[in-house]
Amino acid sequence: MASKVPPLLEPYLALPPEASLILLTSVLGASTNWLVLRFLHSALASPGDEDTKVVFVSFMRDLAFWKEGAKRLGLDLEKLAAKKRFKFMDGLSGLFVPEMQKAVVGKAGEKVLSIPALEHLSGEILEAVRNLKGDGGRILLVVDQLDLLLAAGGENIGAVGLGDMLMGFREEVYSTVTTLSADFPLVSAQQTPLEKDHAAFLLSVAHQADFTMGLRLLDTGTARDVSGVVRITVGDQFIEDNRDIQRRIEERELLYFVGGDGGVRVFERGQ
Amino acid sequence: MSFRKRGVVLPQSGSTSSSSTGSTSLPTTTKEQPKGTRPSPLTGTPTTSTGTSSLDCLFGGHSGLVLGSSLLIEEQGTTDFGGAVLRYYAAEGVVQGHTVHVFGAGEAWGRELPGLSEEKPKKEVAKVDGIGREREERMKIAWRYEKLGEFGTSGREKTTTTSTFCHSFDLSKRLILPSPSNIHFTPLSTQLDLSFKPTDPSVSPFANFLTHLKTQLSSSPPTTIHRIIIPSLLSPALYPSHASYPEHILQFLHSLRALLRAYPTTASALITFPLSLFPRSTGLTRWIELLSDSVIELAPFPSSSLQVKAVPGQEEPAQGMLKIHCLMGGVGGGDDLSFVLGRRKGLVIRPYSLPPVDGDQEGQNPGGLEVEGGGKATKVDIEF
Repeated sequence: MASKVPPLLEPYLALPPEASLILLTSVLGASTNWLVLRFLHSALASPGDEDTKVVFVSFMRDLAFWKEGAKRLGLDLEKLAAKKRFKFMDGLSGLFVPEMQKAVVGKAGEKVLSIPALEHLSGEILEAVRNLKGDGGRILLVVDQLDLLLAAGGENIGAVGLGDMLMGFREEVYSTVTTLSADFPLVSAQQTPLEKDHAAFLLSVAHQADFTMGLRLLDTGTARDVSGVVRITVGDQFIEDNRDIQRRIEERELLYFVGGDGGVRVFERGQ
Repeated sequence: MSFRKRGVVLPQSGSTSSSSTGSTSLPTTTKEQPKGTRPSPLTGTPTTSTGTSSLDCLFGGHSGLVLGSSLLIEEQGTTDFGGAVLRYYAAEGVVQGHTVHVFGAGEAWGRELPGLSEEKPKKEVAKVDGIGREREERMKIAWRYEKLGEFGTSGREKTTTTSTFCHSFDLSKRLILPSPSNIHFTPLSTQLDLSFKPTDPSVSPFANFLTHLKTQLSSSPPTTIHRIIIPSLLSPALYPSHASYPEHILQFLHSLRALLRAYPTTASALITFPLSLFPRSTGLTRWIELLSDSVIELAPFPSSSLQVKAVPGQEEPAQGMLKIHCLMGGVGGGDDLSFVLGRRKGLVIRPYSLPPVDGDQEGQNPGGLEVEGGGKATKVDIEF
């Protein structure tokens, strides 16, 4: 069994400094799910630290999926939710589904987002953040696949509005982790509004980010013992004004392998 | 359900069953799998058959389409191999008594499902007998050949009276639908009126289908398995042009994903998608792929390069390549895969291999188009 948090990634997964933004990018076939789970694990399971709380917004996956993944890491999200250290915002189940009975009341620690409008979503998420923060503590906000809103949200949701919303969250929380898709077709051609908006949003977030962890498939095809490559890039602001993070964050490229049981091994090339 | 057995609630379920053994038959009914499903050997989540056994094998450890997930089949060119896979999937559902939901296509589509194959491959009847015996068989086969066997044995038939996971079908026959048909055809929201007035592009053509699915899924008992079939998504033959607005198609797929997740033990979906009209280099196609759980691509060889008739004694030449873009619990890379659609065996997916080169018969070589210059493609060329 591979260790829960890969040792090579530990410095990156540790709770980031205040007001920081971390961007995780994925491509088709190399998803960030395992990395997000490990961020949750390092924020919620570090011994002696009861201060860190997580608000987790997911637009592509439901709570059941994350609960199962977290369970494999020894993290009981339900228990954490009961302790008011974890709050899940479900952006999948009710966002675009035609609603018949309005009362989809999520279980404790879960809130189903149902209106795909930026003001409403941002209000809901900020409310959750404030509720959780009520009795002190640092909030880590994890937003999974925010770009779905941009792609599927229609004309009313644009790159600028979404960027503003993210900025609004960052004012309220201690630190933010977000995942976006960075597939080649989404950022290269930039012909349709969908592609343009996606590229604009992705690039602006990447420039704001303190560091970026980009996942991609192997450039040389598929292999049985390697799932993909994770590349860690330090953002431009922190090279200038924060030596502290510079010392901790080192730019590097590693290989990773996600096993069938959800265990992850991270290693350097040639190891 | 099987996934509960492996989960955290294990002690709970054990205690309840032991306490209620004497009183009711509840434990036995909960243990029973709905017809046409079986737990995945990998994770214990329930899976169902796609009606094409070699496609089931593609899902690696799951050996079946995981319920609560979707499979997107992209296809290059003007052929309709994907449509054949959909028909097998539908026919399997009809035979198993599942509820089948077809979107966009009319009832004529349902009349063209392949019928059950009657003849049984004699060799394999004894060999594969339910899951238990199959495993026993696997133990004896060396690792090296086991995988070959999975791909090689096609149209395998599981002739148990109690649970048949994947039937074999004959394309030349027609399936006779049971008289209260369990296939539902939902037209596009915009197809309903036959007037020629321009359709309102702000109305999603998918709205009806989503409402239909939601009512069907929420009102049916948990033992009813649903199969959702969407042929030629966004093809202009079926869909109005505004269906490909991102807000319509992506919201629909997102909702479909939500519905599948909401019913993780009863529903699965298969979608075919014409790649020539929506190339993979576009952002829209990539989002459609990202919203599906598994994505495979069929790339048929151009018809000019196909052999007219199979050489007796040799296995049928491949009709195209199959690419895996992302697959739940899928086989990890490695071999190139090809497919053949046969009348009796259905779609067979197998590792791509070149037939032996006979020297003078260059045209016989279906792999020839892989090599520039159109010359002989020898093994050396391919393997460099």
